[in-house]
This record gives sequence, structure tokens and C-alpha cells, in this order.
Amino acid sequence: MDHQLLSLYQHRDSPIHRLPATVKLIGALVFVFVVVLLPLSAWRAYALGAAALLLIAAFARLPARVLARKLLWVEPFALGIALLALLQHNGIRVFAAMLARSTLCLLCMVLLSSTTRFTDLLQALGRARVPSLLVTTLALMHRYVFLLHDEMGRMRRARRSRTFTDGRLWVWRSGAGVIAHLFLRSLEHAERIYAAMCARGWKT
Amino acid sequence: MHIPDGFIDAKTATTTGALAAAGLGLALLRVRRCLPPRRVPLLGLTAAFLFTAQMLNFPVAGGTSGHLLGGVLAAVLLGPSGAVVVMSAVVILQCFMFADGGVTALGANLLNMALVAPGVGYVVYAVVRRSAGGGPRGQLLAVAFASWCSPVAAALACTGELAWSGTVAWAVGFPAMAGLHMLIGLGEALLTTLVIATILRVRPELLLEGAAADLPSNRRRLLAQGLLLALGLVVFLTPFACSWPDGLETVAAVLGFAHRAAGTPVAPSPFPDYAVPGIGSAVLSTIVAGCVGTVAAFVFAYLLARFLTPTGFARAKSA
Amino acid sequence: MNTLEVRGLSYRYADGTAALQDVSFSLAEGERVGLLGPNGAGKSTLLLHLNGLLPERPAAEPAVRVFGTPVAAPHLETIRAQVGLLFQDPDDQLFCPTVWEDVAFGPQQWGLRGAALAARVSEALAQVGLAGFEERLPHHLSRGEKRRVCLAGLLACDARVLALDEPTSELDPRGRRELMALLARLPIAQIIATHDLEFVVESCPRALVLDHGQIVADGPTADLLNDEALMLAHGLERPHILRHRHPH
Repeated sequence: MDHQLLSLYQHRDSPIHRLPATVKLIGALVFVFVVVLLPLSAWRAYALGAAALLLIAAFARLPARVLARKLLWVEPFALGIALLALLQHNGIRVFAAMLARSTLCLLCMVLLSSTTRFTDLLQALGRARVPSLLVTTLALMHRYVFLLHDEMGRMRRARRSRTFTDGRLWVWRSGAGVIAHLFLRSLEHAERIYAAMCARGWKT
Repeated sequence: MHIPDGFIDAKTATTTGALAAAGLGLALLRVRRCLPPRRVPLLGLTAAFLFTAQMLNFPVAGGTSGHLLGGVLAAVLLGPSGAVVVMSAVVILQCFMFADGGVTALGANLLNMALVAPGVGYVVYAVVRRSAGGGPRGQLLAVAFASWCSPVAAALACTGELAWSGTVAWAVGFPAMAGLHMLIGLGEALLTTLVIATILRVRPELLLEGAAADLPSNRRRLLAQGLLLALGLVVFLTPFACSWPDGLETVAAVLGFAHRAAGTPVAPSPFPDYAVPGIGSAVLSTIVAGCVGTVAAFVFAYLLARFLTPTGFARAKSA
Repeated sequence: MNTLEVRGLSYRYADGTAALQDVSFSLAEGERVGLLGPNGAGKSTLLLHLNGLLPERPAAEPAVRVFGTPVAAPHLETIRAQVGLLFQDPDDQLFCPTVWEDVAFGPQQWGLRGAALAARVSEALAQVGLAGFEERLPHHLSRGEKRRVCLAGLLACDARVLALDEPTSELDPRGRRELMALLARLPIAQIIATHDLEFVVESCPRALVLDHGQIVADGPTADLLNDEALMLAHGLERPHILRHRHPH
């Protein structure tokens, strides 16, 4: 099944990919914070930031098409909020600056998640003393998202193969049924995972 | 509702970050203390489940579609602390794996979607459920109404943060966001109730643990209490929307477009201007519109509970 | 001293159905035994008892002994290291983000750290023929590879008995062949619950037949599997491979 939908990560062999996750994470955070704290009309700084990010993208050998698609996917909400800002006085300037800023930050985060595996980010979080229960939850979540996504696909196909209607009510009922059963599956997985953890000496 | 980077200023980011960290820390502490060890993997699996369920799209109207948000679903299945941890995991994963929602806005997004949404949802659920007694119909009514309140509350928190940051004026954002999410809430209520009804039919024991079966089921008192609670919320909140801007319709259309693209449900509004015509004061008309909306949602929740309560429940319970 | 000793083991599910009734058998050092029986016979339940995951409430007199040590509360930690349990669904057993972390999970619980841990992990991965898979993600592996990573996770705990639940199910022929060869190479005692009768004929000299929670036969594999009446009575059948070996 297509897991591209489920993850931005692009497997490439590049100097950017090989950098330690902690370095990339801190770098991205610093970049975003600086951009956010820049004064609204710091256009030269925005241009500089954009150039730096594009250079990194080129170094990481990321296809421009994928980056553009991801940007377009998240942009509408930013655009919506920015348009609300248009209604205030001095609106156009604020609007343009906000759009530029949020696009820069977004591009930076897209670069981070395209060149860094989530599992490596998790290890970085663990070293940064994020509470272990949260890291465990994130790790299990990331591990089983793909599995549940596949299971959901199979369940939907099985239901569709036995129905001959596309009434809206039916779609809602059937979809809710899929969601409910997906939860029951997750519950069963969780119980067996607990047994497997105990079998290898997990201490609570 | 994922706020991107650049829309939240430093003071708001710091404050929401601190609030979110405190709330999440408290929830983690409570979960660590109360959750039996065998339930620990369930947190991760429920997070994965909610994330997956959010990807399932439901057709709404005119080519738009929406999806489950899941705050109340998580709270009903895992209790409030577990729900906070699970929803936080979902928001964090979306931020770092998909760049959905900004890093500087992570605190705000956590606050809205991982603390306010399940928190408010759970409180409403608990209050309505207590008044409704332990029966499955009362439970479904509580689920339906709580899952309508939850996105509305989260949207209000989101609007508040944007207003405090000086990005969007409260008077502009409040009616647009509240109106939109009162509609989104209807879809969320329908979906959450359908899911809980299915679980109630297949594995009732998962939801009936600690059912308050001894509480009297007094329908009139329940209705009165639920409505009072909701109306109180509305009256308390709406005066903040003090002026009525001219460009609102444009904004609503734009926001509507934005949400449609992001996959959140949009349906034609029953109050196109959100203000009830014929009432002079903008504040008053906002309050009236909010109250009417809330009452309508409660009636909707009641109808959902009435029609979706599993008929085979008595049999399943005795089996 | 027997590697594994089960004496008079009985178990009831919470709803009162009897899952195991007076099960007794033993396993010698390095012995490989097939555990046969129809679905619902109690095979998985039996395996869960071997390292103390069941019963939920410890019995007054533990029915299972591993190297003479009763499977009970004070010894559970050692027992769980010694008895490696391979679950039916490798996805439930591979719960860590990367292969390395998963294989390291067990040894970490026993306190292994640093270079010793790394050495243990690479040794276990080499044993199952997956050296170099350390940084791979579980959901990118084939089913056979997942099974082998699970096995490496058990070997890294220094398991001295393996309890395997349907190890060859849902594997393609190559995955199955590789896993069979791997299990044959491992010099430790194994009890293998399976429906794959040809696999039992080839790799287990001895077999047990479990039905309705009771051991109904225990003996040399070829004798049991050639007993057509016994096989049919317990929802099994004579494998083709034996028909060719013993033409009538």
C-alpha cells in the first residue's frame, strides 16, 4: 500500500540526510524561531532565509515537485488566517509578511521531516529528557500507524465489495463502523503487544 | 485548525507553550499513577488509531468532505488524562512528520486540540451523563452533545490565541470560527455517536465499566441541566464579540474555502449572517444566535441518541 | 534434568471454559517437538504458560518447571529470559521503531548497556542472517524477515528454550524454507505449535497432539502422523510427504 501519503520522509543518500537528527532538529527550531521573531517588513532577511532553505533542499536532492505539493497542501489554512488579517488597517502589508513567514517556516519543517526519519527524531526527544511515557506512546503510534492504515484499507474494501449503494447515509454509517472496528483491532493489538513486552522481561 | 508558524506572537507562544506543557505533564503524571501497566501500549495504539481514523473522509455537501476529530471519542474510551496524552501524541506527530501545524504554534495547537477539545468534551460528557443516568441512551446523548461542544470550544480557544497575538481581531474571528465549528460539530457529533453506538453494540463492557446504573434516569431534569449548562456557556462567551464587521461574509467564504481544502466539513449555514434579523444590538443578536444554535445542537444530540441507541442492547447486556 | 517439565497443568478462561486439562510432558536438552492440534485446541494457551504469561493469578503449585526452576513470581525474570516466546503475529512482537531497538529491548530489560548491548544485538542478528538490518524499520520488512527479527530478539535474551507459535504461517515458500533451516541450526530446545505438518515431519523427531486442552498423543512424529485414524479424529491429516515415503 502507498505509504507515501503517510510520511514525508524521502529516502536519499545526501550529506543533509546523514546529519545527526538532533543537529537538524535544533537547526530547524532555531530557524523557525528567528523567522517568527523577525520584524514584519524584514524582506531581505526573508529572501535570505528562502535562499538558504532552497540550497539545503538542493543539497538533500529532494524533488521540487514533492516539496511544492506539500507546501500547497498546508498553505490554504495559512492563507485563510492571513486573509482575515487583511480586514485590519494596514492589512495588505501584514498579510504579505505573514504569508511569507509562514511559508518559510513551513518549508523548513517540510525539509526537516523529508530528510529525517521520525524514529531518529524520537531518539533525539528521548535524549532531551522528554517524559518516557510520551516517547513510548509516540514510538508505538508511529510503529502502528502504517499497520492500522493498511487494516483500515482492507476493511473498507471488504465493505465496499458487499454493497451496491453510495447513499450518503450509508457512507457515514459504514465509515463509522470501520472506525469502531479499527478501535477494537487496536485494542487487541495493544493486549498482544503487552504480552510480547512482558515475555521479554518488560519492567513496569 | 492547525495554526501554522508565524501567526502566533512570542507572548502567546510562550504562554500557550507553558500551559500545554503543564497540562500534558499533569496528564502524564496522572496516567502514570492510575493506568494499569497492561494499558500502557493502548495509549500508543489509540493514538495510531485516531490518526488513522482522521484520514477517513466523509462526504458532506457540494463536494466537500470532513473527518473525525476524535477528542470526545478518546476521552470516552480512555478517560480525560489518557485522552490528553493520546491527542498530544497525534498533534506532535502531525507537526514533526507532516509539518501540519507550526513548531512555534505547537503549544497553542496542543492547548486547543489536545487539552481543550478532550477536556471540555469530557466535562460536558460527564455532566450530561450524570444527569441522564447510566443507560445507553443517556450515554449516547452525552457523547453526542459533548462532541458538538468540543470542536466549538477548541475553535474559540484558537480564535482567542490569534486575537491575543494581534493576527486576527476577536470581533472578526469569533463569529466566523464559532459559526463554522458549530456546523463542524454536528458532523463530529454524528460520527462520534455512530462509533460509540457500534462499540456499545459489539463490546458493551468496554464502555460500561463504572456505569452509573444506580442514578435515576429523569429525562426532564436531564434536559433542563444540559440546556442550562450550554446556555450558560453561550451567554458567558458571546459578549466578547462586541462589534459586527462588514466584511464578515467575505471572511466566512474565505475561511470556508480554506477549511474545505484542508478537509474539514463545511455546510451551508442556517444563519447566513449569523445575526438574527430584527434584533438591534449586535451583542444581543449574537447571544440569541448562539443560544439557538446550542439548543438546536442539543435537540440534534437528543435525536441522535434516540435513533442510534442499539436495540439489541438489553440482550447483549444479559448475554 | 529436563529443560522443560510440565506436570498436571490445567487452566480455565475467565468465562469458565476449560482451556487445558491435566497437561503433562517434558522436553530434553536440545530436543525439537512439534505441537499439533486443531484450531482452539489450546496450543497458544499452553505456550503462554511456559514463561509465566499465564495464569494471571499464580497457582499454589506451579505446574511448569524450566531447568528445575518453578515458573513462579520470584523467578519470572530469569524464566522469561530463558524461555523465548515467538508470537503468531510478528507485528505484535516487533513493537519498537527500529530493528536494532527491538532486538535490544530484551537485553536492555536485564540491564545490558553500551558496547556489550551492541555486541549482543549484532550477534543475534547475525545468527538469524540479518546482519546489517539494524537501522531498518519494521514495516519495511517482509513477513519472513519480521519473523527472523523476532527470533533475534529472543536469542539476544539468551533464550535456552524456544516456544514458537505457528512460525511458518503466512510465509512464502522461500521465507518458510529459510526459517526452517534457521531453526534447524539453532542448538536449543524448541516446542513448535503449527499446522504445517510437513515442517514437523522434516524438523521435529517428536510430536505432541493436543485436542480440547488434553494431550491425546505423544511420540515419534512419523508414527503419530502415519496413524490415519488419530489424525482424522483430531482435525489433522496425514501429510503427503509421508504417503510418498511409505507407499501402500
